[in-house]
Amino acid sequence: MKLRPQLNPLTQRQLARFRSLKRGYWSAVILLITIVLSIGAELLVNSRALIVSYEGNWFFPTYDKYLPGSTFGLGYEYETNFRELKVFFERQPSNSNWVIMPLVPYNAFEVDLPAGRYPPNAPSLSEKHYLGTDTTGRDVLARLVYGFRIAISFSLILLICNYTIGVALGCAMGFWGGAFDLFFQRIIEVWSNVPFLYVIMIIASVIIPNFWTLMIVMVIFGWMSMTWYMRTSTYKEKTRAYVLAARALGASNARVIFSHILPNSISIIVTFVPFAIAGGITSLTALDYLGFGLPPPTPSWGELLSQGTSQLESPWLVTSVVGAMVAILLMVTYVGEAVREAFDPKKFAYYE
Amino acid sequence: MHLRMNPMARALIALLSALALIGCGTNDKDDPRAETRRDVAQEIISYPVGGVLPNGLAWETNNEDPIFASADAKPGGAFRTYVLAFPLTIRRVGPDSNGSFAGYTRAGFLSLVSLHPNTRNFIPTLATHWAFDDDGKTVYYRLHPNAKWSDGTPITADDYLYTLDFMRSKHIVAPWYNNHYTNQIVNVVKYDDYTISIEGGSAKPQDEILFEYSMGPVPKHFHVLDQNWVRENNWKVEPNNGPYQISKIEKGKYIEFTRKHDWWGNDLKYYRHRFNPDRIRVRVIRDVNIALQHFFKGELDTFGGVLPEFWHDKFKGKDFDNGYIHKIWFYTDNPQPASGMWLNQSNSILSDRKVRYGLAHAMNIDKVITTVLRGDYRRQHTHHEGYGDYSNTSIRARAFDLTTANTLLDEAGWTERNDLGIRTKGRQTLSLRVTYGQSHHTPRLVILREEAKKAGIDLTLQLLDSAVSFKQMLEKKHQIAWMGWSGGGLSPRYRQFYHSDNANKPQNNNLTNNAVPQMDTLIDKYRTATEKTDRVELAHQIEQMLHDTGAVIFTFKVPYTRDAYWRWMKLPEFRGTRVGDLFNPMGGQFWIDELERQSVLDDAAPQTAPVSILDTTYFSE
Repeated sequence: MKLRPQLNPLTQRQLARFRSLKRGYWSAVILLITIVLSIGAELLVNSRALIVSYEGNWFFPTYDKYLPGSTFGLGYEYETNFRELKVFFERQPSNSNWVIMPLVPYNAFEVDLPAGRYPPNAPSLSEKHYLGTDTTGRDVLARLVYGFRIAISFSLILLICNYTIGVALGCAMGFWGGAFDLFFQRIIEVWSNVPFLYVIMIIASVIIPNFWTLMIVMVIFGWMSMTWYMRTSTYKEKTRAYVLAARALGASNARVIFSHILPNSISIIVTFVPFAIAGGITSLTALDYLGFGLPPPTPSWGELLSQGTSQLESPWLVTSVVGAMVAILLMVTYVGEAVREAFDPKKFAYYE
Repeated sequence: MHLRMNPMARALIALLSALALIGCGTNDKDDPRAETRRDVAQEIISYPVGGVLPNGLAWETNNEDPIFASADAKPGGAFRTYVLAFPLTIRRVGPDSNGSFAGYTRAGFLSLVSLHPNTRNFIPTLATHWAFDDDGKTVYYRLHPNAKWSDGTPITADDYLYTLDFMRSKHIVAPWYNNHYTNQIVNVVKYDDYTISIEGGSAKPQDEILFEYSMGPVPKHFHVLDQNWVRENNWKVEPNNGPYQISKIEKGKYIEFTRKHDWWGNDLKYYRHRFNPDRIRVRVIRDVNIALQHFFKGELDTFGGVLPEFWHDKFKGKDFDNGYIHKIWFYTDNPQPASGMWLNQSNSILSDRKVRYGLAHAMNIDKVITTVLRGDYRRQHTHHEGYGDYSNTSIRARAFDLTTANTLLDEAGWTERNDLGIRTKGRQTLSLRVTYGQSHHTPRLVILREEAKKAGIDLTLQLLDSAVSFKQMLEKKHQIAWMGWSGGGLSPRYRQFYHSDNANKPQNNNLTNNAVPQMDTLIDKYRTATEKTDRVELAHQIEQMLHDTGAVIFTFKVPYTRDAYWRWMKLPEFRGTRVGDLFNPMGGQFWIDELERQSVLDDAAPQTAPVSILDTTYFSE
């Protein structure tokens, strides 16, 4: 409540308007909760136990270093299988040892291959594979959750990088104009015509793309679109009376840009953000689907989608990933729609 | 290019093209002018007789082996199959000629002798007889007098001599062939139009030289070798000598082959009742799963089912239940490809033999076989399996055994474990990169990776485009190469894979950078030995030594072929041969019942119980 007086009254009105658009508002809330939950995914979807009580000692393996089976009196040196440990403890009723497992007791990498059945296995409540397993026997839900975390963080970082470059350059082009503007316009036009998908295919077939190399490539070919909007907007704003007034008062270039022009162009930036996020998720998924994205065995929606489309006999693969994608992209789009409407200068426009 | 030619050649070309224009639109065989043209061609490149046939040659042939075709076979019908990509060219050699379509075009070119698919004895093909020289590297051949190219020109000794010129030419842009026809096949000599000899590069046992130096001719009257050869021959149909010839090319869609009705080989013992379909249409369908749908609609006649997911999960439906589509699982017994994990012994971690042994014991190959491979594949134990006496069957691959793996890795100094449970030594982590090129192998590697973690080994998977991954391996930039060498030949080949001459040099097949002096000695001995018993003994020793280095962890073999096929596809009583595919369109024994096809597709055919055949005639463990 204390923050409110500091916000510009216009912004306050825009936020209120956003809140009143129920569909977009609730989508934003759910989306934010999902993102926050996915940050702590290790506590919800993990093969490591939340808490183990063994002979009076408590263990919290989630974020700890690996605990070999011998820690709990199991005869092996590799990482404890906590699901088996739980069963093992429960079989000894006199024992006071116990294990609390997360909601989904699998991680995104381990293969669960029950004897006599071949992956992919159908969803099963008793095995806690709520969405079944994929063609290698990995839990689909776990891969969806961790895949989402990767996709959304990829998309957000990509957004920040693209917008930083795009806004800075667009602003500069609009502000200084002249030869600088002309030069960069041509650069951007040429650069926009490089076939991005081919470039990424070539790169991906030569090196193993990891999260950051893929990010760099996508930033190199993705920063252009925002420059045009910022350029026009800056051109428009810099001739307005308030900017001239600020100049007359002796404001520096930096002050004019950061205190006057940028805040007044913010609605353009904000309006594009949700669609850019959706774009980032879909392009990562598309690249993974085609096999040019993050290397296996990284959990990825695209990889799951490509498994699903070639295994239509196992409908849980394709339905779960398509369902998740549709839900997330739909929510992002609703948010985008609401943001656009809330920041619309024409207050009484109707979209529905 | 014409600028550099001398006036003589230019005049000849002008004459040839003039004659070709005159001959246009008429049937060459009936046209006397076509005869003139051929004479001119032969004048240019008619080879002189190169010597006198030695006396006392013991000519051999083989007409005693059983035939491997069924007298019930009915000729006729059209066989429809598919490839995943349209070929980039239909040339046999040169750039881009080694794609998946090459098998179809090359099948139209026979060679001097071939192997009987059951007895593995040599049978006459383009040659009727053969004889060996005492020098251990020369074979004499008597050519079949009736053999003809598809345009009616007889195949004579000149075509074989021309082969050497052709294959050595820089204009074909085919370094492998250039090299093979220079160093492996050293000389071809003409004694008369239907008698030649071929001299190989080194002395070998008789069956080896017959196998290695049996070549196929190139039609000398067809080719004009100049720097445009590659470009101009991309879509030219070269005259061939097999039963089928390309009759129609619809770019991007299909290629059709038609059976030659007056084929010269029609009445030869081993060719009768084979090559039954009249037409073979090879369509392009760019996705396997879409191709499967075409098969289910009856637009393709057969569908390969070696991959477990197809055989067990996708070959299902009412057409299977009603007996319209049959399934066959047919064990074969042929030289197996060598698939495995090739460890780069020049790598600082893998140079330690104990690490290599430990790694081998940490690879749960059996778990992969029993899970994602449905227990269908089998464990491969050595490099050369299915080579008869040459295979060393006493060697067993190192089994998955965590205790042994842990002991070995501890002994090698990898005693500490980091937070993730991966072993470390000093600042180094026991993390190894597996390079591979087939995305459908990922599930197999994922299981190995998860199991290897238990021994404290971290495998990172590097999936690359298949051509790129192979290049990386050839340049020895890999740590672990996950790949397979195709099998074949009569006896094992060691030099290219394990001789120190190839170690630590790029662009050769010694992927393990293997350099063991004692092994080199044995390999050299093996290459020069001419007695089979010696060679077998040496092969066993080399194979054992290879096992002792631990340089390769062999993985799977697939000693069978599996197909789903519509009921109108008919197989002989014996179904298939020891080696080879059941439904090989270019050389199979199957035939097509077009009437039954119609009645099945019209839903007029009676239903039967499902048919799934398991044939273990040639099963061997």
